[in-house]
Amino acid sequence: MPVSNREANFKLNNQNDRERMNSRKLGPLQINHERPQKGAKVALIGWSIPTIEAIQQIKRPYIVISHEGYKEYAEQHKIPFLSWDFGKPNHYQEVYERSEELFDQLVNIDVGHTISVFEELVEWAGALNARLREDPAVFDHSILFRDKAMMKRRAHLGGLKVGVFEEVENKEEVRRFFKRVNYSLLKNHQNEDADPIHFKALNKAGAAGHRMIFSEEDIENKLTDQSFPGLVESHLSGMEISCEVFIYKGEILFLNMTEYVKLGYSSMVPPSAEIEYYRPYIHKEVEKLIQAFDIQFGMIHPEFFITDTEEIYFGEVAYRIPGGHIFELIQKVYGFNPFGAHILCCDPHTTLEELEEFLPKEVKPNGHAGSFLVYPRKKNATRVQVPRDLEEHPSFEKHTLYKPTTAKFQDTDEGYGNHLGTVFFHGEDSGEISQLLTDYVDYDFYV
Amino acid sequence: MSVKVEMNKEEAFDEALDQLEGAYSFAKSMYQSEVLQTAAKLMDEPDGFSILYEKAEKFEQAGLFQDGPWEDPSKLQANLVKGSLRSGGMTTISELLSEVRMVAIAEGEYDREGVSKEKAHSFLNEVMALNVDILFPEETEAARIEGKGKDKDRMENLFQFLSDKLSLASISSQLVKEIDELVAQRPIMVKRTVKMVKHAEQLLETEIDASDREAIQKYLDAINGRTTVCDRCDVKEYRDQLKHLDEGKLKKEARSFSQSMHETGLVAPYHIVLVRYLNKHHPELLSDALALSNKGQANLEEHLPFVQNLITVGIHLPLKQSLYGLTLLLDRGVLSSNPVIPGIRRIIELDIQPTTRKSLLNLVNGNEGLTANNILVAGTISVLGQPLGIGQGMNPTCQTARGISLWSLHAPGHLLDLIARAARDEDIDITFEGQTIHSKDLREGLVDDLHVELDPVSLILVPHLDRIYSELVRRSNFRGEDVHKWVNPVYYGNWVPRGFSSVIDPLSGAVSDYRGFVRLFYATHHPDYNEGYELIYPNPVGIFITDSFGGFLGLHAVSIQRVAQDQNGDVRIYFYNPNNDSSQDWGQGIQPSVTGFNEIHGESSLPFHQFAARLYAFHYNQYEQGDAYAVDEQLVEKVETLAKESWGSQYTWTAL
Repeated sequence: MPVSNREANFKLNNQNDRERMNSRKLGPLQINHERPQKGAKVALIGWSIPTIEAIQQIKRPYIVISHEGYKEYAEQHKIPFLSWDFGKPNHYQEVYERSEELFDQLVNIDVGHTISVFEELVEWAGALNARLREDPAVFDHSILFRDKAMMKRRAHLGGLKVGVFEEVENKEEVRRFFKRVNYSLLKNHQNEDADPIHFKALNKAGAAGHRMIFSEEDIENKLTDQSFPGLVESHLSGMEISCEVFIYKGEILFLNMTEYVKLGYSSMVPPSAEIEYYRPYIHKEVEKLIQAFDIQFGMIHPEFFITDTEEIYFGEVAYRIPGGHIFELIQKVYGFNPFGAHILCCDPHTTLEELEEFLPKEVKPNGHAGSFLVYPRKKNATRVQVPRDLEEHPSFEKHTLYKPTTAKFQDTDEGYGNHLGTVFFHGEDSGEISQLLTDYVDYDFYV
Repeated sequence: MSVKVEMNKEEAFDEALDQLEGAYSFAKSMYQSEVLQTAAKLMDEPDGFSILYEKAEKFEQAGLFQDGPWEDPSKLQANLVKGSLRSGGMTTISELLSEVRMVAIAEGEYDREGVSKEKAHSFLNEVMALNVDILFPEETEAARIEGKGKDKDRMENLFQFLSDKLSLASISSQLVKEIDELVAQRPIMVKRTVKMVKHAEQLLETEIDASDREAIQKYLDAINGRTTVCDRCDVKEYRDQLKHLDEGKLKKEARSFSQSMHETGLVAPYHIVLVRYLNKHHPELLSDALALSNKGQANLEEHLPFVQNLITVGIHLPLKQSLYGLTLLLDRGVLSSNPVIPGIRRIIELDIQPTTRKSLLNLVNGNEGLTANNILVAGTISVLGQPLGIGQGMNPTCQTARGISLWSLHAPGHLLDLIARAARDEDIDITFEGQTIHSKDLREGLVDDLHVELDPVSLILVPHLDRIYSELVRRSNFRGEDVHKWVNPVYYGNWVPRGFSSVIDPLSGAVSDYRGFVRLFYATHHPDYNEGYELIYPNPVGIFITDSFGGFLGLHAVSIQRVAQDQNGDVRIYFYNPNNDSSQDWGQGIQPSVTGFNEIHGESSLPFHQFAARLYAFHYNQYEQGDAYAVDEQLVEKVETLAKESWGSQYTWTAL
């Protein structure tokens, strides 16, 4: 074909494509989040005592769906209960398929809406709600909060600042990403001082599966074939904070900020004044997040980075109750039951009046509350040892350290593992609380 | 920012308690920690325990113990209290509050279903007796380290409160009883006895029964030694004093110590000094210093040079209990057994391997001037003198302890061989169905991490024998019958008869033909049914261990030593339990006694049918069976009921 013809064709095609694009509705599919008027009960997916207590207190008809191991206890204490084995599905689609049988049972017992209590069950609640609303997109929407790559891409599309990231299938792809990021930073010739990247599992809670890659050797040593597929991400330096956001009809009803005094170990609510200063900025980012993720109802637990240049980056977001006793801390300083607020926000049948009565109007905390998770530091322990000066400290509130039931602890390779107990603080001075939370990280509570 | 309201500690506790009380039954766990913590803070106050005492009924009813180990006070065991108290943290706080609840029940303040006032009283008395050290805190290094937190103060506050509420007199008799029972078994290792006696010493300063006071004083004298020669002098001074004594005074001294030793099985340090002195300068007084029986005296005279040698090498202050072992060794006449003297001589001169030497030397403090051979000889003397005093310590090695005991009784030459093999070669071998098994080639036994509070002989033998035992079990598995049928005769030797019967069918895991099992046991062991055959060698049997409620805890190995009538004419089984704990309670009224029914020191005993009801497996001689059908049907039924209602509830029962 002559050159002139090809040029003419380009112009024509380009114009055609633009027309085609302009005539379409682009951007994310909007979901109908309303709960249909059928099925009176709320099904709690997962066993959580504080949530069951809360739903009893707010007098909403409910049933708990969980592993049959809880059945006897539930019957003993007259907790409406249905046993279900969630198993370990290999992919999300399997959850959707398997949810049909559970859905049939739920319909029979008059369930109209489901709420997940744990990270791993978010997709189950998504699948069941999708069936209850006869809209498969509701299920896909729940995966937004589970698949970290999908999540980051959606945030990116929605205009939130995110690090550079890629999904990876093998070590070679990690290596390529590591090199490219450092090439862009002009650090390719400085093997020693390359910027680290982060490797993350696609769908694990907390720090499980997280590896920091400082060098190509790290790729060999820290990753195995079992680590994949995963996500790699450029490093964001700065402070990491978490939020707990109670949302109703797309609006923020209550925004809590939590300071990770020592990541994985301790949290403080509300954060110190230096972080509290960013509240208006964080508020704005959260609004953006709600918009980007098309959230109408529920409670989200996002994590943000405040960088050295005071910019706020999106880390990740979970659609569930946060770990690390953050809800207990919120309850302590704000005087409302976040477990109840979680249920109310998650249920579209809740009225605004109900929520306004439940949640505080203003963010006026009573001091600062902090919690410190105690992990075993030795392989063996026979005794708990709580230092005298800790117990005598005026800001010490309580601890839940019992003698461990086994003398030998299992090594956890993933995440921070299960903590054995928690120490709680409550006081006026955030500096003091955060000092306490830092001081005892290296203390052997189990000897 | 608003100000946190400072509440007083009692109000804080009340508020937490109200919240717990108001909580849904399933949500109690969410509110328990707050109550425990506020209670802990209250315990630091002078009248804290009195305040908690008044609220005991309320806090229990509110659900403080719900879903936890303290929920049902009728199931609590006094001997576990010490462990919980020392666990620290909320475990200690819960345990302390559980005791406060018991006091309220004992005092009639709280009428609790399932626990009578009397039962609560005796529980608390036992708790106090077992924890006298908390009542009278010691200023030791261990106590100092454990006492870093506030737990120790709180424990002491509780015990102070307990002693205000309960009388110390009842504790002292409990404590004396515990010591009596422990001493009756004459264990080789006396650390625990000594510790309890030292705790009891503190009771002497309080108002207690005259007879308890006398008993405590007797044990104290046995440990410390009360001598007419010098009062509270050190052993060096005592040694110097001895040089100035004439024969009559030495004899008096000798008799006084030997009497105390025989009464209690405990050896005083002066006694060692005296015996070593007499050994050099007045060997003719040795018999008095040991208060030997006629047989012992004859043995001593026959082998005097060797015994003198033995005292020089094996009787030392850091291992003073071996003097008691030597006494009983002579009384048993063990030296008349041909292989024993050369066997011991070999150990005296043995070239001990470095790692074994190190573990032996670790048994004593440094700077004692002892060699590993000294320690091993002292241990050998103890084991040969006190075959029923061998204990498994904290290790799950009842089989091995039982073996050492059996060989000491009936095959001392073999035992001496094993000791030499282990110490010199760090290897023991055994032939099983034509194949030789070497312990040095084996890696795993039942013991993961040997608890080293053991007598020297057990310390070096257990690691080898345990591995061999496990290997024998491994090789006998999957043969369709209990492994011990093959393991025991090889492991223990030809003293074990070949006939074998077990309650459990290994293929199905069910109890099968229990009645037949019981009949066979009666027909082979009970003098009324077994044609009068006497038990010649100890019979290694397996038993079900049950807790004080009859609940199944696990399997255990003991040896039937003899079957005989007691003073009331009842037939009893006298057995050796390597787990020489003082008083045991196996539920259903089955409480092995260690004294009072003609038990030889170190034996436990039970009425025949009670023992039968806990029996799991036994050996018998096929040629020495009586008529099983002759056994009274009612008797069989009685045993079966006891079995079914205790350990048996864990198993399926099938007929043949």
